[in-house]
Amino acid sequence: MALLKLENVTKRFGGLTAVDRVSLEIAHGEAIGIVGPNGSGKTTLFNIISGVYPPDEGRVFFEGEDITRLPPYKRTHLGIGRTFQIPRPFSAATVRENVAIGAMFGTLSGNVRVDEALEIADRYLKLTGFYEQRDKISGKLTPVEKKMMEIARALAMRPKLLLLDESMAGMPPKDIDGMIKFLKKVKEEEGIAIVSMVEHIMRAVAGFAQRVVVMHQGRKLLEAPTAEALSDSRVVDIYLGRPSEEAEDAESRRS
Amino acid sequence: MRRFYPLIPVLLLYLVLYVIGSEVRGMWQPMALLAFYAALGQAFNIFLGMTGYVDFGYVAFLALGSYGMALSVSSLYESPWLGEGIILIGLLLGLAMAAVLSLAVGAIALRLRGAYFAIATIGVNEGFRYLIEGVKLWGGSEGIIISRPLREAFGAAGANQLSTFWADTLIYLIAALAALITLLYMRSKISYALTALREDEDAAKVMGVHTTKYKIIAFITSAALGGLIGAAGWTLKLTYVFPADVFNITYTVEAIVIVLLGGAGTLLGPLSGGLIYAALKYWLSVTFPGLQLLILAPIILLIIVAFPQGLIGVLKAKVKGTPLEKVIV
Amino acid sequence: MPLFWSMLLGNLIHGVLLGSVYGMMTMGLSFIFGVLRIVNVGHGAFIMVGAYIALWMFLLFGLPPLASIPLAAATGMALGFIFFYTVIRRLVGTPELTTLLATFAIGILLEEVAKFLWGPDFRGFNWLVGKWILPVTTIPLNKIYALIASIAIAIALYVWFRKARSGMAIRSVMEDSEGARVCGVNVEGIYALSFAIGIGLTVLGGTLLTLFIPVGINPYMGGIYTLKAFVIAVLGGLISPWGAFYAGFIFGLIENGSYTLLGLIPGIEPFSMTQFLAFFLLLVILLLRPTGLLGARA
Repeated sequence: MALLKLENVTKRFGGLTAVDRVSLEIAHGEAIGIVGPNGSGKTTLFNIISGVYPPDEGRVFFEGEDITRLPPYKRTHLGIGRTFQIPRPFSAATVRENVAIGAMFGTLSGNVRVDEALEIADRYLKLTGFYEQRDKISGKLTPVEKKMMEIARALAMRPKLLLLDESMAGMPPKDIDGMIKFLKKVKEEEGIAIVSMVEHIMRAVAGFAQRVVVMHQGRKLLEAPTAEALSDSRVVDIYLGRPSEEAEDAESRRS
Repeated sequence: MRRFYPLIPVLLLYLVLYVIGSEVRGMWQPMALLAFYAALGQAFNIFLGMTGYVDFGYVAFLALGSYGMALSVSSLYESPWLGEGIILIGLLLGLAMAAVLSLAVGAIALRLRGAYFAIATIGVNEGFRYLIEGVKLWGGSEGIIISRPLREAFGAAGANQLSTFWADTLIYLIAALAALITLLYMRSKISYALTALREDEDAAKVMGVHTTKYKIIAFITSAALGGLIGAAGWTLKLTYVFPADVFNITYTVEAIVIVLLGGAGTLLGPLSGGLIYAALKYWLSVTFPGLQLLILAPIILLIIVAFPQGLIGVLKAKVKGTPLEKVIV
Repeated sequence: MPLFWSMLLGNLIHGVLLGSVYGMMTMGLSFIFGVLRIVNVGHGAFIMVGAYIALWMFLLFGLPPLASIPLAAATGMALGFIFFYTVIRRLVGTPELTTLLATFAIGILLEEVAKFLWGPDFRGFNWLVGKWILPVTTIPLNKIYALIASIAIAIALYVWFRKARSGMAIRSVMEDSEGARVCGVNVEGIYALSFAIGIGLTVLGGTLLTLFIPVGINPYMGGIYTLKAFVIAVLGGLISPWGAFYAGFIFGLIENGSYTLLGLIPGIEPFSMTQFLAFFLLLVILLLRPTGLLGARA
C-alpha cells in the first residue's frame, strides 16, 4: 500500500489551472524530489497534500485512507509534516517552544504532554544542531536558520511523510551537502518518506532523491529515477524555456 | 507546585488591597473599584491576550451575568428554604448564561478573522441588547430591579450587607480565580496552542493545532469569568440591571485599554493595568470631574503608539536572564 | 390606496432618501478600510463633527447645510491628515487590536473635546425650504437636496477615482501596496491621502445628515451611526466605497420598511427591533458572504 497516493488531483484558481490531473504514488521511506520551474504548480501540490485547501477534482489517499477533505491539523496526526517555502516560525516564541509545538500537537499520538514535548524537542534540537540556541527568540533567527528550525519542528512531529518546500534555497553549496547527508541520516533512522521540492538546485535533488517528478505548467511532465530524469532533454528544455515537443503536444491537446 | 510561585505576589496584592479597604476609612469603594478593574482585565486577557483576537462585544458576557443574578433573585426570593442560595444560584446562572452565549457567538464569529471578528462581536453585543429591548425580554428597556426582592428575602440589613460587603468581596475572589486560571492555562498545553495560533494561525493548523478548539476554550473561560463579574459586581452591588447600562461598549474598551496598558498575554499585566487604570480614573474623577475621558483618550493614544507591549511587556524584557524572570510573568 | 400601503410606500421613499445619506456617511469607512485595512471605530465621532459644523454655520452665519459641505469636507480632510501623521502612520501593519483601539480613542477624544467646547446638551436648528407634496407622502425639500448632493458627490468621486492620477495611484495601492511601491508610488502619501479623504467623506456625511435630522445634535450622537455604518459597510463589501453607497440605499429601505412593519406587531418595540434586525443582518452577511451582498470589488 502506498504511503501517499494522489489520483488525478486538479486545482484551479479563477481561470488558472495550477495543478492539472496529477497522479502520484509515494512509498514508505522513499526519497522523492519534485522539480519544476516557478509556477509549475509544486507549492499548490504541497498545499493540497498538507490540507491547506482541497483539490477541485481528484482525491488524496494516505495509507489507504481518503483524506481529500480532511482538515490540516488532522493530517498531521496521521503523519504528514511540512516546512514552508518562506519560513513561518512562531516568531515571539523561542526555538525550543517552536519545536515543542510541533511535538505536542503534530504527532501520531496527538496527545503529548508539555514536558514530554519539550524532551522530544530537545532531542531534535540536538539532532539539528540547534540545542545551544534553543532559548533564542525564533523571530530573530537568520532566514537559513529559520528554515533549519522548521525542519526540526517538522521532524518533532514524528511524521511518516515529510514535505520539504524549497528548504535549501539560499544555502551555500557546502550547507546543501550537509543538509543532504542530514536528510539521508534522518530517513534511515526515522524511516520517514521525504519529498523534497526544489526549483533548480539540482545538486540537492541529485544527491538525495531516488526518484524525480518533473512538473511543468501544472502537469506532471515525467517521473523517473533521478539520473534519467535530470538528463532528459525535455527537462532541460523547460528550464531553458525552449518549448519541448511534449509540452507543445499538451498545449494543442488542451486547445 | 513551584510553577505556581508567580501567583503568590498576585494573591498578596489582592489581600493588601482588601485589608486597606476594610481597615482604612473611606477606602472600601476605591479599593473595590481597583479590584473590579483588575478582575475585568484578567478575565478579558484570557481571550484577548492569549489569542490576539479582539472581542469588541465582550461586555455582553458581563451583561448576561448581570441578568443571571437578577433573574435568580427576582424569581426565587420568595422561596424560604433557599436563603443565601439564591445568590449562589445567581452567580452560577450568570456564569452559565454567559458561557452559553459565548458558545453561540464562538460557533459563528470564531470562523472570522481580525477586523471581521471584531465587527461581528460588536454586532452580537448590540444585537442582543436591542433584542432584549425589542421583544421586551426580561423587563425590556426597563430592566430588572432587585432591591425590593433582596430586602424581602434578607431583611434591610441583610440586603445592605449583600450589596455592599459581599458583592465587592466576591469580586476579589473572582479576581483571584481569574489569576489562578490564567496561570494554569499559561503553564499548560493551552498556552502553546494559543501562542501558535496567535503568531500564525494557518501555520499552527498545519502543525497540528486544533485552532478552533483552543480558541473556544479561551473564549468560554473569558466569557464565564465575565459573567461572574457582571453578576456580582453589577447586579448584586447596584441591585438593578438596565440593558442600556450593562451592554455599554465603554466597558469593553476599558478592558482592552487595561490589557494593553499592562501587557497582553501576561499574568501581571492586566492586573497592573487594571490597578493603574482604576486609580487614574478615580483620581481624575475627583480632581477633574467630567474631564476624565478627555484626559485619558490622548494618554491611551500615547500608550498604543509608544508602548504596544504594555508595562509588564517592557518589564519582562528588562528582567530577562535575571531571577526576577520567574516572577514577572 | 389603502392606508397601510400608502404608509409603507411613503416610508420606503423616505427610506431611499435617507439611504443616500447613509451611503454617503459610510463611504469613508469603506474607503479607509479598503486602502489601509484599518477599521475606523471612531467613525461616528467624525459624523458628529460634521453635524456640529452644519449647526454652527447655520446659527452663526445663516449658512444652509448644503453650503457648509465644502467646509465640512475640508475640515474632515485636515483632521484626517493630522490624525494620520500623529497616530495612524505608526500603526499601519500592526495587529488589528492597536488600530481598533487607536481609532476608538480618537473618537472618544473628539467627543470629549466637543463636550468640553459646546456642552453635552442636545441642539438643533431649523432650515425650512418647503415641501414636495405627493399623493402618498410629503417630502421636505431638504431631503431631496440631500439626495442630489449625495449622488453628485459620489459620481464626482468615482470619476476622480477612475481618471485622476492620484485616484489611480490609490487604486494601485488597494490592489497591491508592495507592487505599487516598486512602481514608484509614494505609498505612505497615498495612505495619508486616503485616510484624509475617508475622514473628509465622513464629516461631510455628518453635515448631510443634518438635512434630515437637524436636531438631537450632541457630542455622543455618533455612536449609533458607527454601528449602522458597520452594517452598511459589510453589506457593501467592506472594501468598496461604491458598494457602501449602494448598500446605504438598501439599508435605508430596510430600516424604514421594517420600522413600519414591526410597528404593527403588538408587544414589540419597533425601534429596538429594527436595530436588532440590522445586527442580525450584519451577522448573517459576515457568515455567508463576507465580500458583501453585492460582492463589490473596487
